[in-house]
Amino acid sequence: MSVQYVPTVADLNEIVEQVWASYLDPEGVNPLIPVESAADASDIHASVSITGSWHGHVVVACSNAAGKLAAAAFLAMEPEEVTEADLIDVLGELANIVGGNVKSMLPAGCFVSLPHVVSAPAQANHWPAAVQVCELAGLWSGESIAFSMWQSRELTGEAAA
Amino acid sequence: MTLSAADFAFVSALVRRESSIVLGPGKEYLVEARLIPVARQTGAASVAEFLAAIQRHPDPVGQSRIVDALTTNETSWFRDQDPFTALTTQVLPELIANRAANRHIRVWSAACSSGQEPYSLAIALRETLPAGWTYEILGTDISGEMIERAERGEFSQVEVNRGLPVQKLVHNFERVGAHWRVMPALRRTVTFQRMNLTAPLPALPPFDVIFLRNVLIYFDVETKRSVLRSMGRLLRPDGWLFLGAAETTIGVDDNYERVVAGRTSAYRLRAAVPVGTAGKG
Amino acid sequence: MHAIVIDDSRAMRLILRRILGQLGFDVVEAEDGQAALNVLEGMEQKPDLALVDWNMPNMNGLEFVTAARDNPQLREMTLVMVTTESEQSQIVRALAAGAHEYVIKPFTSGAMVEKLALLGLVPSGASL
Repeated sequence: MSVQYVPTVADLNEIVEQVWASYLDPEGVNPLIPVESAADASDIHASVSITGSWHGHVVVACSNAAGKLAAAAFLAMEPEEVTEADLIDVLGELANIVGGNVKSMLPAGCFVSLPHVVSAPAQANHWPAAVQVCELAGLWSGESIAFSMWQSRELTGEAAA
Repeated sequence: MTLSAADFAFVSALVRRESSIVLGPGKEYLVEARLIPVARQTGAASVAEFLAAIQRHPDPVGQSRIVDALTTNETSWFRDQDPFTALTTQVLPELIANRAANRHIRVWSAACSSGQEPYSLAIALRETLPAGWTYEILGTDISGEMIERAERGEFSQVEVNRGLPVQKLVHNFERVGAHWRVMPALRRTVTFQRMNLTAPLPALPPFDVIFLRNVLIYFDVETKRSVLRSMGRLLRPDGWLFLGAAETTIGVDDNYERVVAGRTSAYRLRAAVPVGTAGKG
Repeated sequence: MHAIVIDDSRAMRLILRRILGQLGFDVVEAEDGQAALNVLEGMEQKPDLALVDWNMPNMNGLEFVTAARDNPQLREMTLVMVTTESEQSQIVRALAAGAHEYVIKPFTSGAMVEKLALLGLVPSGASL
């Protein structure tokens, strides 16, 4: 097998910073502050799956409040106006943007799935057949958000995303 | 808003002393926003704590980080378009006619920030100069951190989105991880040097074109005059100076005259009046 | 000026509509390439500009660009890909298919305005 470049937490951080600069904090005054772990970033999970020469998932997990803040910033509305449909759209698009940029760093010939958004996931670990490659956890306006990459185990263990 | 008046006064005095840039009232919000990441890097809990520490124990590295954070701005490729169009359609054709003997063009991008302007100039010259011609670009900036970044020649996705036509992106850059890196052939034509334009300038061979854009606006009139005078000595007699759209030499330094350059203006040194023909009328 | 925004994400369509609206464009939306061709078919005056996502269900952005290039009625329409696809080879593919410009997600509104200025669709130096 050839050696493949797998994006690191530094790569994830760079992509996430660009998302903040573009949509969530264009003025540069409210950054995502890194923390060791974002245990309460578990109300909503948005993910895309990557297939092809690399198999895995890119996940955006956050608290309800963080999700509403993100949707409000994205859609230029007040957090209390955010509907569930807005939340699903925006977090799905965040997963798509982060996942698409991760894909561009992987060997050629990968594909990104359409985003999949789950509210109130019962368990933190969705993919028993995948291992976490890296995670970037942070606080944004005091609310938890985490970005993570999961790589599917070789061969038969591929789980449905 | 947690920045105290005393902290703001400290920062604006420091920035003015180191860069001659004036941070007037109303910039408190900007100062605080720009210093949050700097404070965090040093491990301070807040901007106020970071500034308190640096005022108690003056520290040149911390001070230069403050100056860097407040004197650098996001820049675009081919920023404002018109000066670059004027360069390729008017200035370079004229220089090509005048420099047939040595076929070499020197351009200075003063206050080049993270490098978008000097690399844009390099792309423009590379695409415009006929075969057999060479060029060199000098990029200078007051910020050592910016010079390091510009020298690396790596730009984020967000940065390459800004004003860089996609054809120029795919011809002049290569994808490296999450970044885009300037191709070596282009990179080699640009050199970088840290330089404070308000201090005495080093001896340099003269330039055919100088881009000094959106710099003078930060200076008071005396500083503007002194910068324009010292740069005039580094501009060839038939060279061209480009300033920002909101800037002019008029009323500041009469050695320059404003000329039309495409859809914008540029500045050229007034011809020295030959001895014996200076009629007083 | 008229524009069509083609993206399967409603959130992204809203962002693009907001930017274009502020620049004075009349905007219609479509959620994939096929839906866009259907909308365009029924339009008397074709849009000046199409902003096109790449990864969409039914018909993706690359297929849409190819179809738009082959349609004489859409020949005047400026095609800008707006996508997370950012490998050099993918960009070259989109340009070969007929895209005029390319904006990589994530993008700032300033970057979008600058790209439209490059295409002569908004005045140089325009801002929101």
